[in-house]
Amino acid sequence: MLNIQHLTKTYGEKKAVDDLSLYIAPGEIFGFIGHNGAGKTTTLKSVVGILRFDGGSITIDGSSIVDDPIACKAKVAYIPDNPDLYEFMSGMKYLNFIADVYGVSKADREARIGKYADVFALTDDLSQPIASYSHGMKQKLAIIAAWIHNPKLIIMDEPFVGLDPKAAHILKGMMREVCDNGGAIFFSTHVLEVAEKLCDKVAIIKAGRLIRCGTMDEVKGDDSLEEVFLELEGEEE
Amino acid sequence: MVKVLLKKQLSEIFRTYLYDAKKNKKRSNLSIFLCFAFFIILMVGVLGGMFTVLSVLLCGPLLQAGVGWLYFAVMGLVAIFFGAFGSVFNTFSGLYLAKDNDLLLSMPIPVSVIMGSRLLGTYIMGLMYSGVISIPAVVVYLVVGKLSVSTIVCGLVYVFLISVFDLELSCVLGWVVAKISQKLKNKSFISVIVALAFFGLYYFINFKAGSLVQEFIANAYMYGMNVKGSVYPLYLFGRIGEGDWLATLVYVAAIGALFAVMWAVLSRSFIKIVTTKSDSRVKGAKASFEGKSASSALFSKELTRFTSNANYMLNCGLGILMLMFFAGAIVVKGDMVRSICLQLLGSEGDPAVVALCGVVCCVASMVYVVVPSISLEGRNLWILQVLPVSPWQVLSAKIKVQFLLTAVPSALCLVAMAFVVPSSIVTFVLGCVFTMLFMFVFALFGMFVGLKMPILNWTSEIIAIKQSIGVMIALLVGFVYSAAFVLLFILFGRNLGSIAYLCISIAVTAGVGAVLLSWLKGRGCRIFAEL
Repeated sequence: MLNIQHLTKTYGEKKAVDDLSLYIAPGEIFGFIGHNGAGKTTTLKSVVGILRFDGGSITIDGSSIVDDPIACKAKVAYIPDNPDLYEFMSGMKYLNFIADVYGVSKADREARIGKYADVFALTDDLSQPIASYSHGMKQKLAIIAAWIHNPKLIIMDEPFVGLDPKAAHILKGMMREVCDNGGAIFFSTHVLEVAEKLCDKVAIIKAGRLIRCGTMDEVKGDDSLEEVFLELEGEEE
Repeated sequence: MVKVLLKKQLSEIFRTYLYDAKKNKKRSNLSIFLCFAFFIILMVGVLGGMFTVLSVLLCGPLLQAGVGWLYFAVMGLVAIFFGAFGSVFNTFSGLYLAKDNDLLLSMPIPVSVIMGSRLLGTYIMGLMYSGVISIPAVVVYLVVGKLSVSTIVCGLVYVFLISVFDLELSCVLGWVVAKISQKLKNKSFISVIVALAFFGLYYFINFKAGSLVQEFIANAYMYGMNVKGSVYPLYLFGRIGEGDWLATLVYVAAIGALFAVMWAVLSRSFIKIVTTKSDSRVKGAKASFEGKSASSALFSKELTRFTSNANYMLNCGLGILMLMFFAGAIVVKGDMVRSICLQLLGSEGDPAVVALCGVVCCVASMVYVVVPSISLEGRNLWILQVLPVSPWQVLSAKIKVQFLLTAVPSALCLVAMAFVVPSSIVTFVLGCVFTMLFMFVFALFGMFVGLKMPILNWTSEIIAIKQSIGVMIALLVGFVYSAAFVLLFILFGRNLGSIAYLCISIAVTAGVGAVLLSWLKGRGCRIFAEL
């Protein structure tokens, strides 16, 4: 589904991502963990086409994000770490705008907006301006917008930040549902307990370089993910 | 602390002059020098020059009539009006809606210091606008009238008092807008209507300025005596410029007292207004799931942004109303339009159509919705970058909105012109083609400027909407291009004939448009993708 090969991205003198290679297969929830500034957001932004990278390749379902960005973006949804949405729109207008751009039919958008707005208890607020939303409500709206076109691959940067426990639980269920239907999820998180319970595979990145990658059992063995992560962080220093 | 906050405020206002967003680094010293030189030429050369001419026109005759104070009173009032006009729309958004208000309020900074630094920013904007009138007024008086220690010192106080009064006026109006915004729904449109009343008055005075000045000079002494008798404070105000120490002291005390009152009111209400969220909940809105194409959705999004933002509408869309007003003026004052054309061009037929098309283009240059449209994406830019749309689809939606907003009211002007100014069909059609082509090319140019000089990390949207160098460049180029079209016609075009001149102008404008279009579709799209 997502194939990242030898990805390299520099900011001036600093290598934010250094020769990173990952493969995410259909049906996988793939966790991406690392300390602040390790290169997680840079990688995710490169995958969705927000950032140009210096070296390597990224292909989504066989299409290159550099050569055919529109085809790639049509299959992907992205939720950034901070849900900055159009505050001059109402929630419903925003969802319709996203659905229009992805060409979602009237019946599909009605069904999906109805379903996800209900589970997140956002239905009554959809007619309100986004400017009046709390951070958590904006995050829920960004999640509904991401799910509205039934994407094959969902990229999320710290998706659980700002969500209440119930919404976080719902999101985990939605992520599993996408993968059960043949999609894939690639997300970054600092909440190692969530990653441990939810992910099929995990990658640990440090200073732009991949230091461990594999299935959850391969990466952590008999230890907890937290112990492995802290050990790896210490080893490199 | 005030110095630190003021530095932050000023660095934001002049950010595009100091920082190259495209290269993501500080501009070179030469580039900074050129940017500031351009700004100074615009403010001092163009605006200052215009008001220096007005000062020269008024100063001599009024001094001869023995009413020098009336000269300072009139110039002072114009400066106050212009200064308030320049800064009032910044005050509300700059003072109460700045995005870093929450951050600053959470830091150990006294509220009075935050407020003071914001007011200093507003004061500097007001001083820039009022100074282009009050400073030439004082200098002209010192040259034409009396040069002494008292006229120099009092002249400086006169300039300072006007700028402080402008600040007070802007704050009062900003405070009123803030209070109203907490109560009202649809405040974007209401703010626009209130501001338009202000604009209407301004342009009415401007429209009448020529005849008013003549009339005023001819009867200066009589007016002076009437004003002195009925509005004595205005007389005292004018006396400041003539070096009257007592009048100066009275006004320093009065403006100082007003400032103290204003400070007290703002101090009491600032934190409440900043921390109170307006009740913007909509009742009874029905969900609609009707779909449209991606291009229509992008177009609709741009239009919604424009119509939901009073600052955006007022600053970038004022020309739309000016165009509609101009269309009405052509119909209502048809005889006058024809007679002016006859005087200037020696004919009211085909040449009048050419000249009027130029005027329509000039007025349409005041609509620059497209210029800040990239900057206004700000932190929302990621949305457009992850959606499966090409950069050109995004840019063309912005260009279409600009074109629509100028082409429709311009078409009204052209229709009015068809009824009022008789001309050959060919000239009229070519005039229409030129006008619409200009609207399109100006939209392309606005997009070009917006892409070359984006400001994406603003904390107050007014920085993107009003205070960027790109906006100034677009305005100036629009004015100069359309003015050159009219001037060249008067100088050379009449000999060529209206049809030939219009054909050449269409060809040149189309050429410029083709170059811009090609740049936008290639380099422009790459710049947008890499922002």
